[in-house]
Amino acid sequence: MTSDTHPALPEFEYVQPQTLNEASEFLSNHANEARPFLGGTDVFVRMRDGFLSPKYLVDVKNLSGMSLLTFDPQSGLTVGAAVNMNRIIASPEVQAHYPLLVKACRSVASYQLRTRATIIGNICNASPAGDVIGACLVLGGILHIHGINGSHEENLSAFFLGPGKTTLEPGDIVTAIHFPLPPQKCSGTYIKLGRNQLSDLSIVGVTAFGYKEPTCASGYRFRLALASVAPLPLMPTEVETHLAEHPISAEAIHEAARLASEACTPIDDVRGSARYRKEMVRNLSEKALTEVWKKLG
Amino acid sequence: MAEPKIQNSSPVGESTPRIDAREKVTGAAIYTDDLQFGNALLYARIKRSPHPHALIKKTDVARAKALPGVKAVVTGEDFPGYIGLYLQDRYIFCRDRARYVGDPVAGVAAVSEEIAQKALDLIEVQYEALEPVLDPEAGIRPDAPLLHPDLGKYVVAGFIYPKAGTNISNHFKLRKGNVEEAWDKCAAVIERSYRIPHIQHVPIEPHIAIAKVDERGEVTMWTSSQSPFAQRNLIAQSLGISQSEMRVISPAVGGGFGGKAGVSMESLAVAIATKVKGHPVKLRLTREEEFFTAFVRQGLSAHFKMGCDKNGKLLAMENCFYWDGGAYTEYGVNIARAAGYSCTGPYEVPNVKGDSYCVYTNHPVGGPMRGFGMPEMHAGLEQCMDELAAQIGMDAVEFRKLNCLKTDSILATGGKIHPIGLEECIQKAANAVDWGRKSPASAPNKRRGKGIAAMWKAPAMPPNAGSSAWVELAEDGKVNVGIGGQDIGQGAFTISAQMAAATLGVPYEWVRVAAPVDTRYSPYEWQTVASRLTWSMGNAIVNAAKDVRKQILDLVAEAWDESPDELDIVNGVVISYKSEKETPLKNLVIYGLPNPDGRGWKGGPVIGRGNFMPKDVTGLDAETGQGEHGVVHYTTGAQAVELEVDLDTGRIEILKGVAAFDVGKAINPELVKAQMEGGLVQGISSALLEHLQLKDGFPKNANLVDYRIATSSDIPREMQSIIVEVAQDDGPWGARGIGEHSMVPTIPAIANAIFDAVGIRLEGPPFTAEKIYLAMLDAGIVK
Repeated sequence: MTSDTHPALPEFEYVQPQTLNEASEFLSNHANEARPFLGGTDVFVRMRDGFLSPKYLVDVKNLSGMSLLTFDPQSGLTVGAAVNMNRIIASPEVQAHYPLLVKACRSVASYQLRTRATIIGNICNASPAGDVIGACLVLGGILHIHGINGSHEENLSAFFLGPGKTTLEPGDIVTAIHFPLPPQKCSGTYIKLGRNQLSDLSIVGVTAFGYKEPTCASGYRFRLALASVAPLPLMPTEVETHLAEHPISAEAIHEAARLASEACTPIDDVRGSARYRKEMVRNLSEKALTEVWKKLG
Repeated sequence: MAEPKIQNSSPVGESTPRIDAREKVTGAAIYTDDLQFGNALLYARIKRSPHPHALIKKTDVARAKALPGVKAVVTGEDFPGYIGLYLQDRYIFCRDRARYVGDPVAGVAAVSEEIAQKALDLIEVQYEALEPVLDPEAGIRPDAPLLHPDLGKYVVAGFIYPKAGTNISNHFKLRKGNVEEAWDKCAAVIERSYRIPHIQHVPIEPHIAIAKVDERGEVTMWTSSQSPFAQRNLIAQSLGISQSEMRVISPAVGGGFGGKAGVSMESLAVAIATKVKGHPVKLRLTREEEFFTAFVRQGLSAHFKMGCDKNGKLLAMENCFYWDGGAYTEYGVNIARAAGYSCTGPYEVPNVKGDSYCVYTNHPVGGPMRGFGMPEMHAGLEQCMDELAAQIGMDAVEFRKLNCLKTDSILATGGKIHPIGLEECIQKAANAVDWGRKSPASAPNKRRGKGIAAMWKAPAMPPNAGSSAWVELAEDGKVNVGIGGQDIGQGAFTISAQMAAATLGVPYEWVRVAAPVDTRYSPYEWQTVASRLTWSMGNAIVNAAKDVRKQILDLVAEAWDESPDELDIVNGVVISYKSEKETPLKNLVIYGLPNPDGRGWKGGPVIGRGNFMPKDVTGLDAETGQGEHGVVHYTTGAQAVELEVDLDTGRIEILKGVAAFDVGKAINPELVKAQMEGGLVQGISSALLEHLQLKDGFPKNANLVDYRIATSSDIPREMQSIIVEVAQDDGPWGARGIGEHSMVPTIPAIANAIFDAVGIRLEGPPFTAEKIYLAMLDAGIVK
């Protein structure tokens, strides 16, 4: 925080390419001075605050296919990059098959902002605090990426390199995220701890997901994803392993939650202390895993 | 004040709809930034100090001036006059020294906000950083850096006592009885200390001012303001012009809460405008600037010692307050004074030693905020009351009822209190939360608690702060009321219309309020502060409406050859109870009435005037704080809450909030309740969430992402507002203020409920989930 505050956005050039190829080419040719944007809920704020000053903002949200939200009973859900969160929340198919995604989207900001905010935008910002990233991770999200050498797919779990850093190369545009069909009997939840009830960033966010899995010793597979407690969105594998190997009980979940707390590496910041965050990871992981377990029956 | 003859359908006491509701709800209301000024408009930005404390060695504006589009660059060199409300301790722009991060050192006017902003980067300022004062108790030490070496030379109000050669800009002393001898007689004594952090008003509309200076040097300023007249007075004085050469126009205000009282950024716009005559110059604060360059609520470090006898009767209090007044305390000195003379809270205490120090620090400028020192002071005091009650084995409600002020109780400052209904407020608030009955928690991981706190607050203002009003009528008999008070959401315009209608004898719907407030056309009003409008401006309106009524009745009486005593105005019709004649107001209020003999006319356009100023306020002794009538009156009341603490997270949920206040008379009960609910929510917000975090003088969360305020999702599931009416002898219909009082007892009511739920107490708010959880963890309440 300095004594200087900015009344308006810095100057930039707005670029609206007509095709994905054109967009990738432009972004690649202006690697250090161009940024793609979707809803703009993050990029404009950061530009006004003086943290970003791209020469070019490349509007990719109107490109072909970016606004598609499709569900296939065989293969799963594909969410185009420009699909805003309110559309996801309102989709009967997402509600029926991916309620966790709905719950995570609902926790983001306010209704007004969710008409602009997108899942892909949330992912590409690569903020450890991203509220929907956890749901996308535990649901096994796969990113569709268009670059100067054509398209490829990438597992979301391998996408994050650091705060604000991803595997994207200059010219890469994430066009969609695909979610495979979830297991037959599954359950998930997202617990967000903010400072107040509405529209805060998370001090800690805990996503838990579980399903019955006969190949595991415990008969269950659980996944846990943690927000705001490490440089990256964190999926502590210790938790998954512990709950796969031990019969599920209150004690096993208690221990898994303790492992989650140990696995995270939070910092002190203006939103909360590292000490509190570790405590909350333990308590809320226990609560989230218990809730999922109870629902699975 | 004798009531005028009022017809049965008097709108006073009725919850008439807000006069400004439609335009505000539809978006039609005009706010300052909506005003259009055409091509001549220039935009201002302010270069601010990046140091909490520094000498300004050199300022070079040449490069900024040379930037195309820049029309003027000003610095402190251009404006040598001091400015300030109670203590003239600040320049408009820093001259030799910067005293907080954000202190204005230069200003730019340019053809666009972007160019003005760019020009700031081209202004070169050389500083010599100095050691800052970051805590009020550190600031009073003899070896502390001295922030205002010229303190002894500043112009100061007669009731403020700065200590030259120190950082103490006011020391209020209260000495009553003998505290030292009293402690031995106490059966229970407690000592506690609290720290209350800085918070900010967070109005939805940030500060904005547009100033224009014409070729003759006359100034017009459009601004979102609680204080157009005080701004006229103070800015004119500072610039060395006459008050009549300065005109302030204030359109609709998007929230004030005290932050838009006095003068903060408005003088910057005017100063810059003097260098670009003919051009309106617009200065609007960013949200970030709003947090640390407009007024903040000053921090407080408070120490309490109090004792009672074995029956629970309070015997002594020794309270000491150190206010973190910030870089300039021109307004804050009077907050320290108000807390000083109110330091006992609403209780009768025979032996009192009170000290309230306003201390300069290198923090943002402290200023008025809803409650004016009372929420901060009561935050600790009302927790002490609970603890002392527990120590002597008394119920907290019984303890308060035993000790609270009753009609004719002796005040800590001497003199007697007027008729008050505080005891009734305490009992009704307690009843509303089923006091004494523990209700079960909603889940195994929750703990439930109840808490109560009482309060008092007087309007803190100069003894002779005045109001005035005029009332005129149109050909149709409908009424226009001129006032200088501002509607900042509290409903001032609505109750103005109600009072004028009731006094005059016309329907409420016939009354308009002449807005926007414009110092050229509106009658004088000191400031829209201190919860004083309903009472003070209300009296002026009643007087103006009575003046109109008398003119009309005298005219008609003469025309009908009757006594005015036999006439009345009912629903806009003059009637005679004697002859049963009647005539509508329309026409006669403009054109008068023909003489009965057909030769000539009587009367003429009717216009009434009225004013009000308290005339019986005595001073308080500088050494003892004693005086017969130190303030005009006190509004008192209580709040009670029921809450749950989540043992997993420490998060608090307020289940029910109850407010009971003695408002004398509710002119508009729904608006009174709206103030009680709004104050409760703002109080909850300050208790649970709000804290302007200052580290080494730098604000860490000067934005709405990390400075959280309560949203509609955070308010209690259930709120109850209880109106108690023990009439104020000099209030219109007996009314006294309620705007600020409703957030005064909220912090301690919640603190007491947290203690009831989980047995912990914290040094100060905000009672965040994190602080509660870690305190429970450290106390072994959770594992």
